[in-house]
Amino acid sequence: MVFFIIMFSDLECDYINPIDLCNKLNQFVLPEIGAHGFLTLLFLVSGQWVAFLINAPLLALNVNKVRLSNHMYDATEIFRTLPAHKKEAFIKLGFYLVTFFYYLFRMIAVLIAEGDA
Amino acid sequence: MSDPNQQQLPPGWAAEWDGTHQRYLFIETATGRTQWEPPVLSAELQPMAPTSSPPPSNVHHAKRRQYAAGQTQAYYGTESTLGSGGGYPAPPSQQQQPNQLFTPGLAAENQFQQQQQQQPQLQPGQQQYYGGVQPEPEYINGPQYGQQQQQQMGTLADQFGQMNMGQKGLRLYTTNLLTSPPDPRELHNPPPEIVLPPNSCISPNPSANADPSYQRCTINAIPTSNSLLKKANIPFGLVLTPYRSLKEGDEAVPVVTDTVIARCRRCRTYINPYVQFIDGGNRWRCCMCSLSNEVPQLFDWDQVRNAPGDRWARPELNYGVVEFVAPTEYMARPPQPAVYVFLIDVSHSAIQSGMVATATRTILENLDRLPDEDGRTKVAIIAFDVSLYFFSMPPGTTDSSMLVVSDVEDVFLPKPTDLLVNLAEARASLEALLGRLGDMFKENHIIGSALGPALQAAFQLMSPIGGKIIVLSSSLPSVGAGALKNREDPKILGTTKESGLLQAASPFYKTFAIECSRGQVSVDMFLFSAAYQDVATLACLPHYTAGQTYFYPAFNARTEDARKFAHEFGEVLAQPIMLEAVMRVRASKNLRMSSFHGNFFVRSTDLLAMPAVPQDLSYAIEVQIEDTITAPFVVFQTAVLHTTCYGERRIRVVTTALPTTGNLSEVFASADQVAIATLLANKAVERCITHKLEDSRDALFNKTVEILTAYKASMTAAGAGASAQLAVSENLKMLPVLVLGLLKNVGIRQSSQIPPDLRAYAQALLTSLPAQLLMPYIYPTFYSLHNMSPECGTVGEQGVILPPPLPLSSERLERHGLYLIEDGQTIFLWVGRDAVPQLIADVFNLPNYEVLRGGKTTLPLLENAFSQRVNAIVQKTREMRRGPYWPHLYIVKEDGEPALRLWALSCLIQDRSDVLPSYQQFISQLKDKVNGGNY
Repeated sequence: MVFFIIMFSDLECDYINPIDLCNKLNQFVLPEIGAHGFLTLLFLVSGQWVAFLINAPLLALNVNKVRLSNHMYDATEIFRTLPAHKKEAFIKLGFYLVTFFYYLFRMIAVLIAEGDA
Repeated sequence: MSDPNQQQLPPGWAAEWDGTHQRYLFIETATGRTQWEPPVLSAELQPMAPTSSPPPSNVHHAKRRQYAAGQTQAYYGTESTLGSGGGYPAPPSQQQQPNQLFTPGLAAENQFQQQQQQQPQLQPGQQQYYGGVQPEPEYINGPQYGQQQQQQMGTLADQFGQMNMGQKGLRLYTTNLLTSPPDPRELHNPPPEIVLPPNSCISPNPSANADPSYQRCTINAIPTSNSLLKKANIPFGLVLTPYRSLKEGDEAVPVVTDTVIARCRRCRTYINPYVQFIDGGNRWRCCMCSLSNEVPQLFDWDQVRNAPGDRWARPELNYGVVEFVAPTEYMARPPQPAVYVFLIDVSHSAIQSGMVATATRTILENLDRLPDEDGRTKVAIIAFDVSLYFFSMPPGTTDSSMLVVSDVEDVFLPKPTDLLVNLAEARASLEALLGRLGDMFKENHIIGSALGPALQAAFQLMSPIGGKIIVLSSSLPSVGAGALKNREDPKILGTTKESGLLQAASPFYKTFAIECSRGQVSVDMFLFSAAYQDVATLACLPHYTAGQTYFYPAFNARTEDARKFAHEFGEVLAQPIMLEAVMRVRASKNLRMSSFHGNFFVRSTDLLAMPAVPQDLSYAIEVQIEDTITAPFVVFQTAVLHTTCYGERRIRVVTTALPTTGNLSEVFASADQVAIATLLANKAVERCITHKLEDSRDALFNKTVEILTAYKASMTAAGAGASAQLAVSENLKMLPVLVLGLLKNVGIRQSSQIPPDLRAYAQALLTSLPAQLLMPYIYPTFYSLHNMSPECGTVGEQGVILPPPLPLSSERLERHGLYLIEDGQTIFLWVGRDAVPQLIADVFNLPNYEVLRGGKTTLPLLENAFSQRVNAIVQKTREMRRGPYWPHLYIVKEDGEPALRLWALSCLIQDRSDVLPSYQQFISQLKDKVNGGNY
């Protein structure tokens, strides 16, 4: 996500052209969605209901995007939609950070609980 | 106080020194009336009128020779203000002191020195020549730029500053929309005058500001802050057609040939008539970022004659539109030759409709008109149905061989050479091939089209060079990459899902367009299908590669279609296109180009890539005011770096300077309704695609309401309260009717009858037509022919005289009349049901109304005056505008075929038609909204 944001600001400063930008970013879009989907699935399987519920909205959003096939960045529209893309990238970044610390906290909590037992 | 005789006095006034009162007495010579106060000119005349012009001596003609007499006259004032006769009458005082007359054109050294001595007391006289607008031209032909001149310049500037203190901005006239119906003639008025502050321009040339047909702004007096713009609520943007064709009588764009290109170091602005020379003429101050730059040394050197040159005669300091010949720093590679690849659909439907025959004949006839001055132009022909047919034309032979590639999944070129041939060298084989092509596929019964693979093949063929692909296709692409499905569904027309049909169905055409844009390949689409062809998707390709889409629904070469297509196709082929172009618009500080509309690919935040620029395409750019503007005027400069089709790298620079204002009424008074309508059309189409058609209509309506509300709140006594009037300034009077025309245009109209192909084509036109063609397209012209005055249709001073246009309302249609309605794309000849047999006989050579048949036709040219006049009007209508379009002529009988009748009537936009309001209803809707205040 940090990479995405850096690329977007590069585009704004004219360091990169939109075609290269989209080519570079688009190869990460599906892996990201896939990884997130896989993680969410793991939560579901392992019965981590809270973590699953936290991730479910984003999963739904991604699935919807893929379904409408607008998950890829479109070089012809990129300048018109750049502010929205940037905002989305920032929100996702924040979300991943928060969830990461939540997972860490949970993991440590579990480890401590196991150590106690 | 200087001698007022030398200063500005209106014609017919003289001044006499009164010794007893120690002041001048002013005498009106005709009446003998005297007064103490200096007589003043009316506000309009003051900035321009030369009240005491130089006597028409040879010297002066020599000096001002670069401008035709008519031009200068037109600029400096009308003849009426100058008195009778063609020349300028000289005021008595000047005739008495002929030795003091300043004659800047004299080259002789001693005379120049005399002038130098005389100049101080002659300064006031200067104002008379230049009407107080341009201070500097007295240095024309000046051999040096001394300190003395600098001082003079300063004093001169001061004087001019004072002199123009009383100069007024544009005046605002309020009209009531409820009581004043729209007058079609007002659309042809020039945009509001650009009143620049004095001293802003260093050139006396009237074309120092670009002509509005090249570049125009929606507001001709820029508000100084964003809050002021918000108050006026007028959309702020530029409408430009940098590569405009030249009709007869248009001045050619001057070219700077010596590759001395002065640009600002910081903002890269090209030097233009609005910069300031400082430091004795050794430096110039950029008009956008006010950085001081060095003047190139060769600027005052004439490289052709190898002698000192005259910088004031340089075109870039005198014209708003110039072209620079670019040196090698501006080239990424040596200038490419023009390349044309024709992709011709030879499937069954294309052959049947006669498209192939017409197209090959047109190409054959226009081979001579293809731009090929330097003999480098290359041509290739690829035919396709479900396979690809390449034609190899080895040099030196007159025959060609056909190579068939039926593997369309993985496209390859069957032969590395001889497919793309030099036009001049392979002329004979090309002609032979074009002659045979129609016959070769005469028996072709294959249905289907491998358009995608054909495009890929063409791209492979030309990608090392770039150029233009011209696609002639008459069926929906069905095989290989880019195959499309028929997604037309009459059930969803007129619903909210309709906008989905206007979006691209397949990503192939977008990604391929990007590839093309990188490879400097532009695509023009000529589409002919009778059935659904998905124009919306196919038009993506021309849209992002700076081409153009042409659509001939249900093309049939046996009708007038052939002529229309042949004419338009021929014009497109003959256009001297620009290749490998990039366009950038620069503007003064605190102005930012925020979004771009038109046919191009946005390559970075403000760089528009156009692999080939056809003539007469319009682009619209929205502008934002970022911070308070302090400068007295702002400059917009469009630069198009391109390769001409005869192998020269050039930069076309279009400069427009506009004054700024802190006054809301000036903002309203200077709004340009035509530019606003053009910008709104572009925005509306974009909204159609990203949102819904419904949203786009609402946005248009709301924008109009916002403008009117803003006007009412700030400019009328009613303020925020309710008012019985609907006030708007005189120069915006046509805006509501133009918006109504847009709302009723095929591209945007609410209807469940419009096929998506037609809608998509109309939208492509709305975003690409220049204002001259767009205005009739949204507000058609309507003439009454049966009762036109006898001089209409005859040749007058400005060509054929047209009858006065009527308002677009069917109440003007009389039952016995003959009318012409045209929107630049089609012409309707409306025949009333009680038309007298004589009229029918005169125009159509038929005995009476009953035997007349409606539909596409060509008017017979008969041996009677009326027929000739009608024909002349039709001809003029077809020719008077720029662009390749050749409108069809339809005869519409009042009781004829309903579809055609409805089509013609839909042009009368001031009428009510099913769900759409009439003009009166529209105005009262607007009024309710404006008075209601909440929307």
